[in-house]
Amino acid sequence: MRSGHFKESIPGLIMLSDSVPVWVWSGLLLVALALAPYAMNAYALSFLILILITGTGALGLHVLTGCTGLISLGHVGFLLLGAYAYAVPVAKFGLPPLLGFFFAGAVPALAGLVVGLPSLRLKGLYLAITTLAFAFIISHLIIEMSWLTDGTRGITVPRPRLLGLDFDSDARFANLCLLVAVLTLFAVLNLGRSRVGRALIAVRDNDIAARAMGINLEAYKLKAFLTSAFVTGIAGALFGIYLSFVSIEGFPFLMSIEALAILIVGGLGSALGTVLGTVFIVLLPEASRIAFGLLGSQAERLFSLGAHEIRSVLYGVVIILFLRFEPRGLLGLWHDVRRLWVNWPLRY
Amino acid sequence: MQYLVDQIVSGIAVGAIYGLIAMGLALIYKSTGLANFAQGEMAMLIAYIAWTLAGLMPGHPWLVVGGALVASVVLGLAIERLIMRPMLGEPVFATVMVTIALAVILRAGAMLIWDPYPHALDIGIGRGVVMLGATGLREAQLAAILTLMAALAGFWAFFRYSRIGKAMRAVAADSRAAQLMGISAARIHAIAWTASAVIAGLAGIFFALLYDVSPNLYHVGLKSFPATILGGLDSVLGSGFGGVLIGVAENLAGGYLASSIKEIAGFIVIIAVLMIRPFGLFGERDIERV
Repeated sequence: MRSGHFKESIPGLIMLSDSVPVWVWSGLLLVALALAPYAMNAYALSFLILILITGTGALGLHVLTGCTGLISLGHVGFLLLGAYAYAVPVAKFGLPPLLGFFFAGAVPALAGLVVGLPSLRLKGLYLAITTLAFAFIISHLIIEMSWLTDGTRGITVPRPRLLGLDFDSDARFANLCLLVAVLTLFAVLNLGRSRVGRALIAVRDNDIAARAMGINLEAYKLKAFLTSAFVTGIAGALFGIYLSFVSIEGFPFLMSIEALAILIVGGLGSALGTVLGTVFIVLLPEASRIAFGLLGSQAERLFSLGAHEIRSVLYGVVIILFLRFEPRGLLGLWHDVRRLWVNWPLRY
Repeated sequence: MQYLVDQIVSGIAVGAIYGLIAMGLALIYKSTGLANFAQGEMAMLIAYIAWTLAGLMPGHPWLVVGGALVASVVLGLAIERLIMRPMLGEPVFATVMVTIALAVILRAGAMLIWDPYPHALDIGIGRGVVMLGATGLREAQLAAILTLMAALAGFWAFFRYSRIGKAMRAVAADSRAAQLMGISAARIHAIAWTASAVIAGLAGIFFALLYDVSPNLYHVGLKSFPATILGGLDSVLGSGFGGVLIGVAENLAGGYLASSIKEIAGFIVIIAVLMIRPFGLFGERDIERV
């Protein structure tokens, strides 16, 4: 769109954005998000925190499914592992939370390596089934190892105190989540600019061609699993802290579906799309609750009775509708709107 | 010794149910090239419909079963026509996600329409006990095993002798060549979805007779994945046998190791099979490895 705008160097070509307004607005949005928790009511704040945590987890899945093209139905397993890897050392053995966060990333990353091994031989459907099996095995293992994890009783997790800063209030905790989410977003965006990220995209687009170009498929697939599991594990730890209680029930299988729905709704293969999808999917149940409220108190009562089920149905319907009618996702819609804005009244 | 025999026999009975669902999975995979993650949910839905019919028409077991099978034909046709056919030609990721979304919708929808509590499906048959030597077997268990055997024989003959069965094999081998020979791939897909909905419905009814009707019935669908992976995702008959093997393995793990191993025994089998022999015991198609 910005015509007559030529890039003369590689760094200029792969910059995250060469537009000053984009950087300024992103900075302003960041400041606003950092200050907003202190001005919001508790209800709105809970949605902000959920969006930040879900976004982090979805970016984790984005590295694997969006960038590398490996379907995972087992990301809830990584979330669970991350939450327990944080909760067990910190809440049971009293280790410092920073170390807990390290474990929350490292333990799922190791598990990611194990799950990644079959992916060296399997594609598509078979990998989806393997990761599905992994999610079930993980939750059964956690119940089995009750000497470590307290089994079905769950573990109560306190809010952390990191580097002398207390994150006990929701607003402070939102800032912590914002920090993690922004760091993750930056890492994922920069991954796309790097040699590794381009290799992952090559693996997604055509693995045989990628291999012919000299990309080590085994190493890059395992790297994708490792990174993805690490990020997802951190998100799981944050979610556990936010719930202040870690148990199997807190991480239903629906979360795997939710993460995939985010990627599809946002637009597969784009970090920005993942962010848009997260906002959409997290706010969808609330938006539909308000819509049901307009239909009258009878409908609202029905909604509150079957909240979990209606959420599931919404996710399912949204996935089918987007795949059917707008496979490019919200990002594609956004591009259309932008083009219309720039070119109107001409068509192009 | 008697304990072992009991475990194996009840394993075969529950394995027959897994096998029926797995055959449906393999049938859809063979003719359309996608795994239907909503197979267990289809079984669940038909079991719920049978339960509702049983409440409406007490004392007419065959009417109930017949009505449920009619419902499953309608369900299979509707899913194929409304949801899957528009996705024809889309990448695997998209079609797989559509079936997963369908699974979530059916599961939650059943909980919204009916309720999340287990109910006994009592249609007045299948409760008696048949003695085979020293081993007692409930009629519904025996019926499930017999149905699996009939389905295995029926599908063998269907694929070998019937015109539609041969057309289905042709579409599975090369859908474009089959279309050039005048076979309607869309119609074959519709038949595959209908047939797999019907056998999933039968499996759902048997499961409901043996245990109860509850939303957790979709777990049977998840457990039939190991069955079909073991038997070969593209082998309909192999999947039926795979189901029996998984059922027996699961029961033995539950009987001799620990009850919690029973729940995940199938999934451990999946990972082992996929690592060693990804195309299953009877599968033909070699998976492309890169």
